[in-house]
Amino acid sequence: MLRTVGQKLLHLVPVLFLVSLATFFMLELIPGDPAAVILGPDGTPEQYAQLRDEMGLDEPVLERYVSWLGDTVRGDLGRSLVPPVQDVREMIQSRLPVTLELAALAIVMSLALAVPVALYAAYRAGYRFDRTANSFAFGAISVPSFLAALLLVFFLVFHPDIVRWLALIAGLGLTAWLAQRALRLAQEYPAGQGRTRYLALGLGGALLVLLVTLFLWGNWPEFPRQGFVRLTSDEGIWANLRHAFLPALTLALTEAAVFMRLLRSDLISTLQDDFILSAKAKGMPVWRILVRDALRPSSFSLITVAGVALGRLIGGTVIVETIFNLPGMGTMIVDAIGAHDFRVVQAGVLVIAVFYVTLNAIIDISYAYLDPRIRRGRV
Amino acid sequence: MAESDILLEDAALGVTADGEAPTPPDETLLRVTIRPRRRGRRLLVGIGGIAVGLVLVVVGTMVLQDVSAVLRVGLTLAGFGLIYLGADRLGRFLFGEEFETAVWFSVFWLGLITLAAVFADLLPLAESKDVSKTLTTPTLLRPDLFSAHPLGTDRQGLDILGGVVYGARVSLIVSIGAVVIGMIIGGVIGITAGYYRGKTEGVVNVMADSMLAFPPLILLLGMVAVLEPSVRNVTIALGVLGIPTYIRLSRANTMVFAQREFVLAARALGAKDRRVIFRELLPNVALPVVSYGFIVLGALIVAEASLSFLGLSIRRPNPTWGNMIAAGQTDFDRHPHLVFAPGIVLFLTVFALNRVGDRARKLWDPRQSRL
Repeated sequence: MLRTVGQKLLHLVPVLFLVSLATFFMLELIPGDPAAVILGPDGTPEQYAQLRDEMGLDEPVLERYVSWLGDTVRGDLGRSLVPPVQDVREMIQSRLPVTLELAALAIVMSLALAVPVALYAAYRAGYRFDRTANSFAFGAISVPSFLAALLLVFFLVFHPDIVRWLALIAGLGLTAWLAQRALRLAQEYPAGQGRTRYLALGLGGALLVLLVTLFLWGNWPEFPRQGFVRLTSDEGIWANLRHAFLPALTLALTEAAVFMRLLRSDLISTLQDDFILSAKAKGMPVWRILVRDALRPSSFSLITVAGVALGRLIGGTVIVETIFNLPGMGTMIVDAIGAHDFRVVQAGVLVIAVFYVTLNAIIDISYAYLDPRIRRGRV
Repeated sequence: MAESDILLEDAALGVTADGEAPTPPDETLLRVTIRPRRRGRRLLVGIGGIAVGLVLVVVGTMVLQDVSAVLRVGLTLAGFGLIYLGADRLGRFLFGEEFETAVWFSVFWLGLITLAAVFADLLPLAESKDVSKTLTTPTLLRPDLFSAHPLGTDRQGLDILGGVVYGARVSLIVSIGAVVIGMIIGGVIGITAGYYRGKTEGVVNVMADSMLAFPPLILLLGMVAVLEPSVRNVTIALGVLGIPTYIRLSRANTMVFAQREFVLAARALGAKDRRVIFRELLPNVALPVVSYGFIVLGALIVAEASLSFLGLSIRRPNPTWGNMIAAGQTDFDRHPHLVFAPGIVLFLTVFALNRVGDRARKLWDPRQSRL
């Protein structure tokens, strides 16, 4: 175990070194003089000389890299090159939480969406629900995130009435279906203690769905088109969630589709194992077999992929941050590119990459920890 | 849920674990047994579905003009749904149960987009680039097939259909160019690493890992931050993005083939490494690697559209799907066609590429089929 962890961490060192090298030499790719590009045509010679000095452009490249690396490791990311001059580290400190919150929320939402659908689809593999869920997932994967965001804005912000009516119809339909199913099962089931319980459970579920539907119909939430309220602000967590909901949902839709397909196919192979057969032979209820017995051994690759997705989302929130105008890392980088503030771009890219690499290493290690089958014997 | 359900669903639990298979084996079996009785009905549903669907599309797009937009869009969509259903049944009737309607629709769509992009200059499209030529054109026209502006016009009177067609050209040139760059560079490195193993492989792995250490969009942003946004530069940036994927893909495939007997035979006959790589491995590795290209193509089209959406790729006056959607954002509350016309085309293209890619991988990737 320790050996695996050590190997993983050792592998991290050259990767992080190359990452730092790549981010640093990004600046060298600029055609022409970086200082001239940053200042633009309006810069005065004094500003130009000052900027060259500030960026250390007159020193040899290697020396610049070493001093930059030293500063960065100590946490000093310098000050932005373009007015308003700010401390880059403070900028990142104020923006990283927004991005992290979005990414985490998106992962939670997509798991909440994907796991139940995958369970039912795997249980009825090949049947209508499974086929429908699969084609929806395939479609969702092909929707670019900015399109998904604009679709959500169009329907949930501009025309909420359409969705409200659809939700009402869908909710009532689901209630009717659940109630009808409960009644039918009760008729087929032999009389006795079990029958009353199943009937009560089914009708209770139907009632719950009805109540939720009616509650939503009465209190349809209004989502803001753009802007953000911080978690720490006075308006509280509800306002924060209302602002973060649409961006997070946008990200969650694609991820949920990926998770669903993955978990479904893992579940289907788990459901063929002998221990499932023995659970079935013992007469365990379906939900128990699916949730208690099959879900855990099927979720290893899901955990890995969800972890990787979390890392990718930290860099992938750029689009939704732009559309919903959120003060996160993505908008910071895009704005900095527009203003030719290369130092901010550099710092932002580096922070995200380091986050991503570290997270991936942690996932790798915890994967070995979770799944005893691969703990030893890694070739 | 009752226990009796489990017994009923035993067959369902016995399906093989193939996540991508749209029709698991036992279901095909089910269909085959039912087939003789259903054949006549299938033909009827097929022809009927296409006919009714066509009527609905015509009614939705042309006949009804003054009804609410929701109803028209709904009718048109229902029409397309029926056409799909009809084609599906008809296809199965004519070509057997394995006919994959969605894949054929995807191929058709990709062909259409490619032809439109290639022959864009010959098509009778209204002006979609030069604002000075559209001064007399009415702005923000709603889509109306069979008018001069089938998909409407934008705020400056530029034709949306023209923009979509020329945008397709940019998307295809950039993404195909990038896939070729990634495939050649990544493929060569990957095959070498997979064949020689050892130190070469270690170095290549670290390189690929550090390129994959940047989330894709961030790597792309880093590159376009320092490059001028032109077709060539965006292609190069996207190509670099694809290199690590191709390194891993071709390395993994090379490792599968390098252990096979024919490679051993070639080496036993005294073939040099270069000959083994180019004559024995390359032809075998090329097919799965190329088949994966469709999916990479789809991903790169999305990446390019995302960049143009952020205003960091090709800019106006040259229309791309991404910058058209970005420009339409301001008005799309009242004029959703500004966003959804290029959006639907983008979605359909990516969807079609994914679908075709999925099929191609199943056909040609040795790791997908059970050898």
